[in-house]
Amino acid sequence: MQPSDDSELAAAFVAGDERALEQVYSRWSSLVFTMARRATGNESDASDITQAVFISAWRGRSGFDAAKGSLPGWLVTITRRRIADHWESISRETRKIDAESARLDDEAVAGHAEESVNRVLIADELSQLGEPQKKIMELAFFQDLTHAQIARALDIPLGTVKSHIRRSLDRLRTRLEVDHVAL
Amino acid sequence: MSHCDEDALALLALGEVVDSRDVAHAQECAECSARLEEYRTVVGVGRTVTADDYPTAPPAEVWDAVSAEVARDRASGSDVVSLDAARSRRRRGGYVLAAAAAVVGLVAGSAVTASVINRPESAQLVASAQLDPIGDAGVTGKAEVQTVNGTSQLKVTVPNLPNVNGGYYEVWMATADTKNMVAIGNLNPGSTAVYTLPAGMDLASFPVVDVSLETYDGNTGHSATSVVRGNLNA
Ligand SMILES: [Zn+2]
Repeated sequence: MQPSDDSELAAAFVAGDERALEQVYSRWSSLVFTMARRATGNESDASDITQAVFISAWRGRSGFDAAKGSLPGWLVTITRRRIADHWESISRETRKIDAESARLDDEAVAGHAEESVNRVLIADELSQLGEPQKKIMELAFFQDLTHAQIARALDIPLGTVKSHIRRSLDRLRTRLEVDHVAL
Repeated sequence: MSHCDEDALALLALGEVVDSRDVAHAQECAECSARLEEYRTVVGVGRTVTADDYPTAPPAEVWDAVSAEVARDRASGSDVVSLDAARSRRRRGGYVLAAAAAVVGLVAGSAVTASVINRPESAQLVASAQLDPIGDAGVTGKAEVQTVNGTSQLKVTVPNLPNVNGGYYEVWMATADTKNMVAIGNLNPGSTAVYTLPAGMDLASFPVVDVSLETYDGNTGHSATSVVRGNLNA
Protein backbone atom coordinates (compact mmCIF):
# COMPACT_ATOMS: atom_id res chain seq x y z
CA MET A 1 0.00 0.00 0.00
CA GLN A 2 1.20 3.48 -0.85
CA PRO A 3 -1.29 5.80 0.81
CA SER A 4 0.35 9.02 -0.33
CA ASP A 5 0.49 7.83 -3.95
CA ASP A 6 -3.15 6.80 -3.72
CA SER A 7 -4.29 10.13 -2.35
CA GLU A 8 -2.26 12.04 -4.94
CA LEU A 9 -3.80 9.94 -7.67
CA ALA A 10 -7.27 10.54 -6.23
CA ALA A 11 -6.62 14.28 -6.07
CA ALA A 12 -5.46 14.39 -9.70
CA PHE A 13 -8.50 12.36 -10.72
CA VAL A 14 -10.89 14.71 -8.95
CA ALA A 15 -9.09 17.67 -10.52
CA GLY A 16 -9.98 16.27 -13.95
CA ASP A 17 -6.56 15.03 -15.02
CA GLU A 18 -7.21 12.50 -17.79
CA ARG A 19 -3.86 10.79 -17.17
CA ALA A 20 -5.07 10.10 -13.65
CA LEU A 21 -8.20 8.53 -15.13
CA GLU A 22 -6.01 6.27 -17.23
CA GLN A 23 -4.02 5.25 -14.18
CA VAL A 24 -7.12 4.72 -12.09
CA TYR A 25 -8.49 2.55 -14.88
CA SER A 26 -5.32 0.50 -15.20
CA ARG A 27 -5.22 -0.12 -11.46
CA TRP A 28 -8.83 -0.93 -10.73
CA SER A 29 -10.59 -1.92 -13.93
CA SER A 30 -9.77 -5.61 -13.36
CA LEU A 31 -11.41 -5.45 -9.95
CA VAL A 32 -14.50 -3.66 -11.30
CA PHE A 33 -14.75 -5.92 -14.34
CA THR A 34 -14.35 -9.13 -12.34
CA MET A 35 -16.98 -8.10 -9.79
CA ALA A 36 -19.37 -7.39 -12.63
CA ARG A 37 -18.39 -10.60 -14.45
CA ARG A 38 -19.02 -12.74 -11.36
CA ALA A 39 -22.22 -10.94 -10.43
CA THR A 40 -23.78 -11.02 -13.90
CA GLY A 41 -22.23 -14.26 -15.14
CA ASN A 42 -21.28 -12.87 -18.52
CA GLU A 43 -18.43 -10.86 -19.96
CA SER A 44 -20.48 -8.69 -22.26
CA ASP A 45 -22.65 -7.28 -19.46
CA ALA A 46 -19.53 -7.00 -17.32
CA SER A 47 -17.82 -4.93 -20.03
CA ASP A 48 -20.83 -2.61 -20.24
CA ILE A 49 -20.93 -2.22 -16.48
CA THR A 50 -17.18 -1.55 -16.32
CA GLN A 51 -17.47 1.14 -18.96
CA ALA A 52 -20.42 2.71 -17.18
CA VAL A 53 -18.63 2.64 -13.81
CA PHE A 54 -15.58 4.51 -15.07
CA ILE A 55 -17.62 6.99 -17.07
CA SER A 56 -19.88 7.77 -14.16
CA ALA A 57 -16.92 7.96 -11.79
CA TRP A 58 -15.20 10.38 -14.16
CA ARG A 59 -18.26 12.54 -14.72
CA GLY A 60 -19.16 12.40 -11.06
CA ARG A 61 -15.60 12.89 -9.81
CA SER A 62 -16.56 16.02 -7.90
CA GLY A 63 -18.72 13.77 -5.76
CA PHE A 64 -15.77 11.77 -4.52
CA ASP A 65 -14.92 12.68 -0.95
CA ALA A 66 -11.54 11.41 0.24
CA ALA A 67 -12.67 12.01 3.81
CA LYS A 68 -15.35 9.33 3.39
CA GLY A 69 -13.15 6.63 1.95
CA SER A 70 -10.64 5.50 -0.63
CA LEU A 71 -10.98 5.93 -4.37
CA PRO A 72 -11.07 2.15 -5.02
CA GLY A 73 -13.68 1.86 -2.26
CA TRP A 74 -15.73 4.49 -4.05
CA LEU A 75 -15.34 2.64 -7.36
CA VAL A 76 -16.48 -0.58 -5.71
CA THR A 77 -19.53 1.23 -4.36
CA ILE A 78 -20.38 2.54 -7.84
CA THR A 79 -19.87 -0.98 -9.19
CA ARG A 80 -22.25 -2.44 -6.63
CA ARG A 81 -24.85 0.11 -7.64
CA ARG A 82 -24.39 -0.54 -11.35
CA ILE A 83 -24.73 -4.27 -10.76
CA ALA A 84 -27.89 -3.63 -8.76
CA ASP A 85 -29.24 -1.45 -11.61
CA HIS A 86 -28.45 -4.23 -14.05
CA TRP A 87 -30.44 -6.77 -12.04
CA GLU A 88 -33.21 -4.31 -11.49
CA SER A 89 -33.63 -3.80 -15.22
CA ILE A 90 -33.63 -7.54 -15.83
CA SER A 91 -36.05 -8.33 -13.06
CA ARG A 92 -38.38 -5.66 -14.35
CA GLU A 93 -38.46 -7.44 -17.69
CA THR A 94 -39.33 -10.73 -16.13
CA ARG A 95 -41.33 -9.35 -13.25
CA LYS A 96 -43.92 -11.74 -11.94
CA ILE A 97 -47.51 -10.72 -11.30
CA ASP A 98 -47.10 -11.96 -7.77
CA ALA A 99 -45.48 -8.97 -6.11
CA GLU A 100 -44.39 -10.92 -3.06
CA SER A 101 -42.43 -13.55 -4.94
CA ALA A 102 -40.95 -10.85 -7.18
CA ARG A 103 -39.72 -9.06 -4.09
CA LEU A 104 -38.20 -12.24 -2.70
CA ASP A 105 -36.53 -12.92 -6.06
CA ASP A 106 -35.08 -9.42 -6.03
CA GLU A 107 -33.69 -9.94 -2.57
CA ALA A 108 -32.19 -13.29 -3.54
CA VAL A 109 -30.58 -11.75 -6.62
CA ALA A 110 -29.25 -8.80 -4.63
CA GLY A 111 -27.85 -11.15 -2.01
CA HIS A 112 -26.20 -13.28 -4.66
CA ALA A 113 -24.64 -10.24 -6.33
CA GLU A 114 -23.39 -8.97 -2.99
CA GLU A 115 -21.74 -12.33 -2.23
CA SER A 116 -20.09 -12.38 -5.65
CA VAL A 117 -18.68 -8.90 -5.12
CA ASN A 118 -17.35 -9.84 -1.68
CA ARG A 119 -15.69 -12.99 -3.04
CA VAL A 120 -13.87 -10.94 -5.66
CA LEU A 121 -12.72 -8.44 -3.02
CA ILE A 122 -11.36 -11.25 -0.87
CA ALA A 123 -9.72 -12.95 -3.87
CA ASP A 124 -8.10 -9.64 -4.81
CA GLU A 125 -6.81 -9.10 -1.28
CA LEU A 126 -5.59 -12.72 -1.06
CA SER A 127 -3.66 -12.26 -4.28
CA GLN A 128 -1.94 -9.22 -2.76
CA LEU A 129 -0.76 -11.05 0.35
CA GLY A 130 2.96 -11.71 0.52
CA GLU A 131 4.49 -15.12 1.10
CA PRO A 132 4.21 -17.17 3.16
CA GLN A 133 0.90 -15.49 4.17
CA LYS A 134 -0.76 -16.25 0.85
CA LYS A 135 0.19 -19.92 0.95
CA ILE A 136 -0.91 -20.18 4.59
CA MET A 137 -4.34 -18.71 3.86
CA GLU A 138 -4.82 -20.87 0.79
CA LEU A 139 -4.12 -23.97 2.86
CA ALA A 140 -6.44 -22.77 5.64
CA PHE A 141 -9.28 -21.74 3.29
CA PHE A 142 -9.14 -24.17 0.43
CA GLN A 143 -7.47 -27.27 1.91
CA ASP A 144 -9.07 -26.91 5.35
CA LEU A 145 -5.74 -27.57 7.05
CA THR A 146 -5.35 -26.68 10.72
CA HIS A 147 -2.62 -24.25 11.71
CA ALA A 148 -0.62 -27.20 13.08
CA GLN A 149 -0.85 -29.02 9.75
CA ILE A 150 0.11 -25.84 7.91
CA ALA A 151 3.11 -25.33 10.22
CA ARG A 152 4.29 -28.85 9.43
CA ALA A 153 3.58 -28.58 5.71
CA LEU A 154 5.48 -25.32 5.32
CA ASP A 155 8.00 -25.95 8.09
CA ILE A 156 7.15 -22.69 9.83
CA PRO A 157 6.87 -22.29 13.64
CA LEU A 158 3.35 -22.73 15.03
CA GLY A 159 3.20 -19.28 16.61
CA THR A 160 4.24 -17.63 13.35
CA VAL A 161 1.52 -19.43 11.42
CA LYS A 162 -1.07 -18.39 14.00
CA SER A 163 -0.15 -14.73 13.88
CA HIS A 164 0.02 -14.77 10.06
CA ILE A 165 -3.49 -16.21 9.99
CA ARG A 166 -4.82 -13.61 12.40
CA ARG A 167 -3.16 -10.68 10.61
CA SER A 168 -4.33 -11.90 7.22
CA LEU A 169 -7.90 -12.26 8.50
CA ASP A 170 -7.65 -8.72 9.86
CA ARG A 171 -6.52 -7.48 6.48
CA LEU A 172 -9.32 -9.29 4.65
CA ARG A 173 -11.86 -8.05 7.19
CA THR A 174 -10.69 -4.47 6.74
CA ARG A 175 -10.93 -4.82 2.98
CA LEU A 176 -14.58 -5.87 3.22
CA GLU A 177 -15.25 -2.93 5.53
CA VAL A 178 -13.49 -0.15 3.67
CA ASP A 179 -15.04 -1.10 0.39
CA HIS A 180 -18.47 -0.43 1.78
CA VAL A 181 -18.11 3.28 1.25
CA ALA A 182 -21.19 5.44 1.23
CA LEU A 183 -21.58 7.71 -1.78
CA MET B 1 -10.38 -13.31 32.43
CA SER B 2 -9.06 -10.72 30.00
CA HIS B 3 -10.16 -10.68 26.34
CA CYS B 4 -9.53 -13.66 24.10
CA ASP B 5 -6.17 -14.14 22.56
CA GLU B 6 -6.75 -12.70 19.08
CA ASP B 7 -4.93 -15.54 17.36
CA ALA B 8 -7.31 -17.92 19.15
CA LEU B 9 -10.33 -15.98 17.82
CA ALA B 10 -8.96 -16.29 14.30
CA LEU B 11 -8.47 -20.03 14.68
CA LEU B 12 -11.92 -20.40 16.23
CA ALA B 13 -13.42 -18.66 13.19
CA LEU B 14 -11.62 -21.19 10.99
CA GLY B 15 -13.27 -23.99 12.96
CA GLU B 16 -10.23 -25.07 14.90
CA VAL B 17 -10.27 -26.33 18.45
CA VAL B 18 -8.96 -23.72 20.90
CA ASP B 19 -8.63 -23.36 24.66
CA SER B 20 -12.06 -23.83 26.26
CA ARG B 21 -11.58 -20.62 28.28
CA ASP B 22 -11.30 -18.65 25.04
CA VAL B 23 -14.46 -20.31 23.74
CA ALA B 24 -16.34 -19.53 26.95
CA HIS B 25 -15.15 -15.92 26.99
CA ALA B 26 -16.04 -15.37 23.35
CA GLN B 27 -19.61 -16.41 24.12
CA GLU B 28 -19.97 -13.90 26.94
CA CYS B 29 -17.95 -10.92 25.80
CA ALA B 30 -19.67 -8.60 23.32
CA GLU B 31 -16.40 -7.28 21.98
CA CYS B 32 -14.81 -10.67 21.38
CA SER B 33 -17.98 -12.23 19.96
CA ALA B 34 -18.33 -9.30 17.54
CA ARG B 35 -14.75 -9.78 16.38
CA LEU B 36 -15.33 -13.53 16.05
CA GLU B 37 -18.42 -12.86 13.92
CA GLU B 38 -16.38 -10.61 11.62
CA TYR B 39 -13.68 -13.24 11.25
CA ARG B 40 -16.36 -15.85 10.53
CA THR B 41 -17.80 -13.66 7.79
CA VAL B 42 -14.36 -13.36 6.19
CA VAL B 43 -13.74 -17.10 6.51
CA GLY B 44 -17.19 -17.83 5.07
CA VAL B 45 -16.50 -15.67 2.02
CA GLY B 46 -12.87 -16.82 1.75
CA ARG B 47 -13.75 -20.52 1.65
CA THR B 48 -16.11 -19.99 -1.29
CA VAL B 49 -13.53 -18.13 -3.41
CA THR B 50 -12.83 -19.92 -6.68
CA ALA B 51 -10.22 -19.38 -9.39
CA ASP B 52 -12.81 -17.36 -11.33
CA ASP B 53 -13.00 -14.78 -8.54
CA TYR B 54 -9.43 -13.54 -9.00
CA PRO B 55 -9.48 -10.25 -10.91
CA THR B 56 -8.87 -10.42 -14.64
CA ALA B 57 -8.60 -7.47 -17.00
CA PRO B 58 -11.57 -6.35 -19.08
CA PRO B 59 -11.30 -6.55 -22.89
CA ALA B 60 -9.27 -3.69 -24.40
CA GLU B 61 -12.37 -2.26 -26.12
CA VAL B 62 -13.69 -1.18 -22.73
CA TRP B 63 -10.90 1.32 -22.24
CA ASP B 64 -11.25 2.43 -25.86
CA ALA B 65 -14.92 3.15 -25.20
CA VAL B 66 -14.20 4.97 -21.95
CA SER B 67 -11.50 7.17 -23.43
CA ALA B 68 -13.58 7.90 -26.53
CA GLU B 69 -16.41 9.04 -24.34
CA VAL B 70 -14.13 11.21 -22.24
CA ALA B 71 -12.75 12.72 -25.43
CA ARG B 72 -16.29 13.49 -26.62
CA ASP B 73 -17.06 15.17 -23.30
CA ARG B 74 -13.94 17.27 -23.70
CA ALA B 75 -14.71 18.14 -27.32
CA SER B 76 -18.29 19.13 -26.66
CA GLY B 77 -17.15 21.16 -23.68
CA SER B 78 -20.29 20.02 -22.00
CA ASP B 79 -20.07 20.21 -18.31
CA VAL B 80 -21.35 17.05 -16.87
CA VAL B 81 -24.03 16.22 -14.40
CA SER B 82 -22.31 15.64 -11.15
CA LEU B 83 -23.39 12.16 -10.12
CA ASP B 84 -23.56 13.40 -6.59
CA ALA B 85 -25.75 16.33 -7.52
CA ALA B 86 -28.01 14.18 -9.66
CA ARG B 87 -28.43 11.70 -6.86
CA SER B 88 -29.28 14.33 -4.33
CA ARG B 89 -31.81 15.73 -6.78
CA ARG B 90 -33.32 12.27 -6.94
CA ARG B 91 -33.51 12.01 -3.20
CA ARG B 92 -35.20 15.35 -2.99
CA GLY B 93 -37.69 14.39 -5.65
CA GLY B 94 -39.46 17.32 -7.18
CA TYR B 95 -37.68 20.00 -5.24
CA VAL B 96 -35.18 21.03 -7.88
CA LEU B 97 -37.77 20.85 -10.59
CA ALA B 98 -39.91 23.28 -8.64
CA ALA B 99 -36.93 25.50 -7.91
CA ALA B 100 -35.85 25.56 -11.55
CA ALA B 101 -39.40 26.25 -12.61
CA ALA B 102 -39.47 29.23 -10.30
CA VAL B 103 -36.32 30.54 -11.98
CA VAL B 104 -38.00 30.62 -15.35
CA GLY B 105 -41.20 31.95 -13.92
CA LEU B 106 -43.72 29.20 -14.36
CA VAL B 107 -45.74 26.98 -12.14
CA ALA B 108 -44.20 23.55 -12.36
CA GLY B 109 -46.20 21.13 -14.41
CA SER B 110 -48.79 23.56 -15.65
CA ALA B 111 -47.35 24.87 -18.87
CA VAL B 112 -45.16 22.07 -20.12
CA THR B 113 -47.02 19.93 -22.57
CA ALA B 114 -45.72 17.60 -25.18
CA SER B 115 -47.26 16.82 -28.49
CA VAL B 116 -46.11 15.44 -31.77
CA ILE B 117 -46.95 17.86 -34.52
CA ASN B 118 -45.63 18.98 -37.86
CA ARG B 119 -43.82 22.27 -38.14
CA PRO B 120 -46.43 24.82 -39.13
CA GLU B 121 -45.82 27.23 -41.99
CA SER B 122 -45.28 30.13 -39.65
CA ALA B 123 -42.54 28.45 -37.60
CA GLN B 124 -39.28 30.34 -37.21
CA LEU B 125 -36.09 28.64 -36.18
CA VAL B 126 -34.60 30.32 -33.10
CA ALA B 127 -31.77 28.01 -32.09
CA SER B 128 -30.55 24.51 -32.72
CA ALA B 129 -28.30 21.97 -31.10
CA GLN B 130 -26.46 18.93 -32.24
CA LEU B 131 -27.04 16.27 -29.56
CA ASP B 132 -23.90 14.27 -28.94
CA PRO B 133 -23.85 10.78 -27.50
CA ILE B 134 -23.30 10.25 -23.80
CA GLY B 135 -23.14 6.86 -22.18
CA ASP B 136 -23.61 3.51 -23.83
CA ALA B 137 -26.38 4.30 -26.30
CA GLY B 138 -24.04 5.71 -28.96
CA VAL B 139 -26.80 7.64 -30.72
CA THR B 140 -26.92 11.25 -31.81
CA GLY B 141 -29.77 13.65 -32.29
CA LYS B 142 -30.90 17.15 -32.97
CA ALA B 143 -32.84 19.76 -31.06
CA GLU B 144 -34.44 22.91 -32.43
CA VAL B 145 -36.23 25.76 -30.77
CA GLN B 146 -38.78 27.43 -32.98
CA THR B 147 -41.46 30.03 -32.44
CA VAL B 148 -44.89 29.43 -33.78
CA ASN B 149 -47.34 32.31 -33.41
CA GLY B 150 -45.37 33.69 -30.48
CA THR B 151 -45.07 30.35 -28.71
CA SER B 152 -41.67 28.69 -28.23
CA GLN B 153 -41.42 25.06 -29.07
CA LEU B 154 -38.62 22.59 -28.57
CA LYS B 155 -38.39 19.92 -31.20
CA VAL B 156 -36.25 16.92 -30.37
CA THR B 157 -35.35 14.02 -32.60
CA VAL B 158 -32.98 11.20 -31.74
CA PRO B 159 -33.07 8.66 -34.58
CA ASN B 160 -32.10 5.13 -33.59
CA LEU B 161 -32.98 5.69 -29.97
CA PRO B 162 -33.15 2.11 -28.71
CA ASN B 163 -36.32 0.80 -27.14
CA VAL B 164 -35.94 0.22 -23.44
CA ASN B 165 -37.63 -2.29 -21.24
CA GLY B 166 -38.81 -0.91 -17.95
CA GLY B 167 -37.69 2.62 -18.64
CA TYR B 168 -38.36 5.72 -20.69
CA TYR B 169 -36.55 8.72 -22.08
CA GLU B 170 -36.99 12.21 -20.76
CA VAL B 171 -36.00 15.53 -22.30
CA TRP B 172 -34.49 18.17 -20.06
CA MET B 173 -33.32 21.74 -20.45
CA ALA B 174 -30.49 22.70 -18.18
CA THR B 175 -28.23 25.54 -17.19
CA ALA B 176 -24.73 25.41 -18.70
CA ASP B 177 -23.37 23.84 -15.52
CA THR B 178 -26.35 21.40 -15.51
CA LYS B 179 -26.96 22.24 -11.88
CA ASN B 180 -30.51 23.28 -12.62
CA MET B 181 -32.67 21.20 -14.89
CA VAL B 182 -36.22 21.47 -16.05
CA ALA B 183 -38.05 18.35 -17.13
CA ILE B 184 -39.61 19.06 -20.52
CA GLY B 185 -41.32 15.82 -21.37
CA ASN B 186 -41.00 12.23 -22.46
CA LEU B 187 -39.43 11.15 -25.72
CA ASN B 188 -40.54 7.97 -27.42
CA PRO B 189 -38.06 6.04 -29.54
CA GLY B 190 -38.75 6.43 -33.23
CA SER B 191 -40.63 9.72 -32.99
CA THR B 192 -39.87 13.40 -33.24
CA ALA B 193 -41.33 15.20 -30.27
CA VAL B 194 -42.38 18.82 -30.11
CA TYR B 195 -42.85 20.42 -26.72
CA THR B 196 -44.39 23.76 -25.99
CA LEU B 197 -41.95 25.66 -23.82
CA PRO B 198 -43.25 27.74 -20.96
CA ALA B 199 -43.51 31.45 -21.62
CA GLY B 200 -40.41 33.17 -20.32
CA MET B 201 -38.18 30.10 -20.74
CA ASP B 202 -34.84 31.79 -21.17
CA LEU B 203 -32.60 29.93 -23.60
CA ALA B 204 -29.59 31.92 -22.44
CA SER B 205 -30.09 30.57 -18.92
CA PHE B 206 -31.05 27.06 -20.01
CA PRO B 207 -28.99 26.39 -23.14
CA VAL B 208 -28.42 22.68 -22.62
CA VAL B 209 -30.76 20.05 -24.04
CA ASP B 210 -30.32 16.65 -22.46
CA VAL B 211 -32.10 13.35 -22.96
CA SER B 212 -31.91 10.94 -20.06
CA LEU B 213 -32.87 7.34 -19.58
CA GLU B 214 -35.22 7.12 -16.65
CA THR B 215 -36.59 4.16 -14.79
CA TYR B 216 -40.02 3.89 -13.23
CA ASP B 217 -38.67 4.34 -9.75
CA GLY B 218 -40.84 7.16 -8.52
CA ASN B 219 -37.96 9.62 -8.62
CA THR B 220 -38.79 12.70 -10.60
CA GLY B 221 -35.21 13.98 -10.69
CA HIS B 222 -32.68 13.34 -13.43
CA SER B 223 -31.43 9.75 -13.33
CA ALA B 224 -27.83 10.81 -14.05
CA THR B 225 -27.90 8.50 -17.06
CA SER B 226 -27.83 10.79 -20.06
CA VAL B 227 -28.10 9.46 -23.59
CA VAL B 228 -27.43 12.59 -25.64
CA ARG B 229 -26.72 16.19 -24.83
CA GLY B 230 -25.98 19.40 -26.66
CA ASN B 231 -25.90 23.18 -26.45
CA LEU B 232 -28.44 25.34 -28.21
CA ASN B 233 -26.87 27.89 -30.52
CA ALA B 234 -28.76 30.72 -32.04
ZN1 LIG C 1 -13.54 -10.16 25.30
